Amino acid sequence: MEYMTEVGKMSVMEKLAILTDAAKYDVACTSSGVDRRGEAGKLGNCVASGICHSFASDGRCISLLKILLTNECIYDCKYCLNRRSNDVPRAMFTPEEICELTIQFYRRNYIEGLFLSSGIVQSPTFTMELICRTIYLLRTKYGFNGYIHVKAIPGADSEVIRQTGFLVDRMSVNLELPTADGLRNLAPNKHRKNILTPMRQIQNGITQNRNEVAVYRHAPAFVSGGQSTQMIVGATNENDYQILNVAESLYQKFDLKRVFYSAFVRVNEDKSLPVLPGGPPLLREHRLYQADWLLRFYGFRAQELLSEKRPFFNVMLDPKEDWAVGHLEEFPVEINRAPYEKLLRVPGIGVQSARRIVAARRSCSLNFENLKKLGVVLKRALYFITCSGKMMYPTKLEEDYIVRQLTEKEQRVRFGSDGMTYRQMSLFDDAGFAGNAEVISAQEKWQTAMGQL
Amino acid sequence: MYVYRCEDTLESIFTAIYRVYEEHRPKDEVLLALDEEPRLFTEEMIVTADQERSGKVARTLCRRFGMEDYERICFALTAENVEKAQAVYRTVVSGLALREGAGYGRLFEGLGDAQVCKAFKLARSAERECCHLEGFLRFEELEKGALYAQAEPKNNLLPFLMAHFADRFPEENFLIHDVGRGIAGVHYRQTGSEAWVLIGGKGEKEAAVTQGMEAALSESELYYQSLFRRFCGEIGIRERANEALQRNLLPLHFRKYMTEF
Repeated sequence: MEYMTEVGKMSVMEKLAILTDAAKYDVACTSSGVDRRGEAGKLGNCVASGICHSFASDGRCISLLKILLTNECIYDCKYCLNRRSNDVPRAMFTPEEICELTIQFYRRNYIEGLFLSSGIVQSPTFTMELICRTIYLLRTKYGFNGYIHVKAIPGADSEVIRQTGFLVDRMSVNLELPTADGLRNLAPNKHRKNILTPMRQIQNGITQNRNEVAVYRHAPAFVSGGQSTQMIVGATNENDYQILNVAESLYQKFDLKRVFYSAFVRVNEDKSLPVLPGGPPLLREHRLYQADWLLRFYGFRAQELLSEKRPFFNVMLDPKEDWAVGHLEEFPVEINRAPYEKLLRVPGIGVQSARRIVAARRSCSLNFENLKKLGVVLKRALYFITCSGKMMYPTKLEEDYIVRQLTEKEQRVRFGSDGMTYRQMSLFDDAGFAGNAEVISAQEKWQTAMGQL
Repeated sequence: MYVYRCEDTLESIFTAIYRVYEEHRPKDEVLLALDEEPRLFTEEMIVTADQERSGKVARTLCRRFGMEDYERICFALTAENVEKAQAVYRTVVSGLALREGAGYGRLFEGLGDAQVCKAFKLARSAERECCHLEGFLRFEELEKGALYAQAEPKNNLLPFLMAHFADRFPEENFLIHDVGRGIAGVHYRQTGSEAWVLIGGKGEKEAAVTQGMEAALSESELYYQSLFRRFCGEIGIRERANEALQRNLLPLHFRKYMTEF
C-alpha cells in the first residue's frame, strides 16, 4: 500500500501503461455475441460477429480496451504478476478516467468497447462494487452503447454481480487452473467452489432473462453476450485429456460461450512454477483451441479425441486429422451423398465448406475442381473423400501411408507457416509437453508424437 | 448476341438486368459489358440508369432471396472488375430460374457454376475488406469536434462504411474520405442515423473534397493518439512476440492510415 500516496499524482498515461501491462495476460478479448443497433443520443452499437480493431505485436487481436481497474491485490497467486508479494508499481483508475478513455478511444474507432478486470482491493465485494459503479457511469452519464466485458470477481456478493450483469454484454469468471488441485497449489486464496458459484449464478440469470425476454420484449438484457472463462495451460501438470474434459463439461453444464486457454508465461520466480526453457507452450495451446472448435462446431466429444490411455494431442497432426487416421473405417466419404455431419468430420472440410457442399450438390454433382472452389483444402481432404465414387489420386487407405503423406514437409501447411511457432519442430519435439517434463518419459513422448499411445 | 453497355454503378447494372427481361432477350445470349470494347456480330444497347427499374430489381432480389443475398450482390458490385456485371447478371438469372426452389439464402447456392462462383468470390473479398475496414479505420478529431478518416479501399465500399458508422456514431459529425477514388461520405449529427451523403468524384469535384480536408486537429487529438500508441505497445506479450502473425492478420497496406503504426 506504500504506493497509494503516489496514485493521486500519477498521470493517465502512466496509469494506462501500468494497468494495460497488468491486464495483458487476460485472453478473453472478443467483442462477439451481441447484435445491438445504435440509438439516437448514445454512442455505439454492437455487431454479433465482433470486430478486431488492431493486432498487437504478439499477433493477438485488440478489440477491447483491456485494462485493470487497479493492480492492487490482496491475493497472492503464484503465477500472477500482480500478486501481493511482488514489488511492482501499482496504480488505480478513477471511474471517470476509465469512462473518458473508453469514449474517446471508441469515437476514434480504436476499440470496440471496454474490457474491465481488477485486482482485489479490500474485498471481492468492494472490488465488484467499484467495477459496477464504473460501468454504471459509463452506460448512463456517458451514454455508451458499445460492448462491455467485465470479470465477475469470485467471492463477491451475488447482488452486485446481478446488478453488473444488467449493464454489461459479457461476463466471465476465470477458472484460472483446470483442476481444483492445481488451484490449491498455485492460488491459495482462491477456491474452486467460489469460482463456480458466480458462474452458476450468471448461467441461471441468462436462462431466466431469456424466458423474460420471450414474454416481455423490452425486458432489460442480462449478460446477453453469454459468459466465458479462461484457464492457464502448462502451469500445473494436468494433461490435455483432463483439460478438454473440463472444457466440455463447462460447455454442457454451465452453458459457456467460450473457454479460453492461455499458455503459461512464467512472470514470477517461484519454486512451485514449472520452468519452460522453450517459452510458453504455444503449440499445446494451439491444439487445445483446435479441439475446442471441434467440440463446439463439429459435433465431436472429448472422449473421441483423446482418452485416458492417450492423454495428449499429437504434435504432428491436428486433432481432426488425428481422429480421422485412427478411424479409417469411416472413410472414404462420398461428397455427393454423405450427410452434413459426416462431411464435417473430414479433415480439410470446415463448417462453411460443408454447408456450401450440401447446398451446391443439389443442382449438380460436384467434382474435385468444384470442391477446390468451394474452399475445401484438398491436400488434406483427398485421402478421405470420393467424388462420384472416384478418389482424386489412387491412394491407399492405410494409417501409416496417410500419416506420412500428411506430415510430409512440402505437402503440409505447417504449424508455423503463419508464424505461430517459436522453433522448428522435429520428430522428437516435446514442445507440447514442456510443462510436464517430469511426468512423461522420452519413449512415451515419441509414441504420442507417432500417435501410437 | 446482345450487348448491354452499362456504367459502373449499381443502378445502371440493375437497369440493364431489368431491360433484358423487359425486352424478352434469350438469357444466354446477353452480355453486360462495362468496357467500351467493340464486339463483332452483336446488337448493342446503351443503358442509362433508371431509378424505377433498378428499384424493382432490388425489391425482387430482396423478396425472393432475402437481405443477406441482396447485400452480397451489392458487395459484388463494389469490386473493381470489368466482368462483375456479367457475373452478377448470370447469378441473378440462374437464381430466378430456380422458380419453386427459390428462397432466402439460395441465390448463391449453385457454386458449381463458374459465373456464380465468380460473383460469390468478388462479393466475399469485398465483404472481407469491409469487415477489415470497419475495424481498421481511424478517425481524427478536428478543431470543432468533427471526426475525419481516410482510407484507400480496393473495392468501392464507402456506402457500406457510411451505413455502419452512421449507426454507430449517431451523435457525431464525421467524414470518411476514400483517397483513391476522390470521394467522401459525410454524416451530420441529429438528423437521424440515415443522414449521410456521398460527395465528390473525378476532376473538379475531387479538388473540392480535398480542399475541405485541411482543417486543423483538435487540441486533445495528439494526446489521445499517443495514449493509444502506448496502449498498443503495452498490450503485447513479449514472450509470445510474433510479427509474422501480426502481419498476416493486419496486412501492411491497411497500416498507412492507422494511428498505432
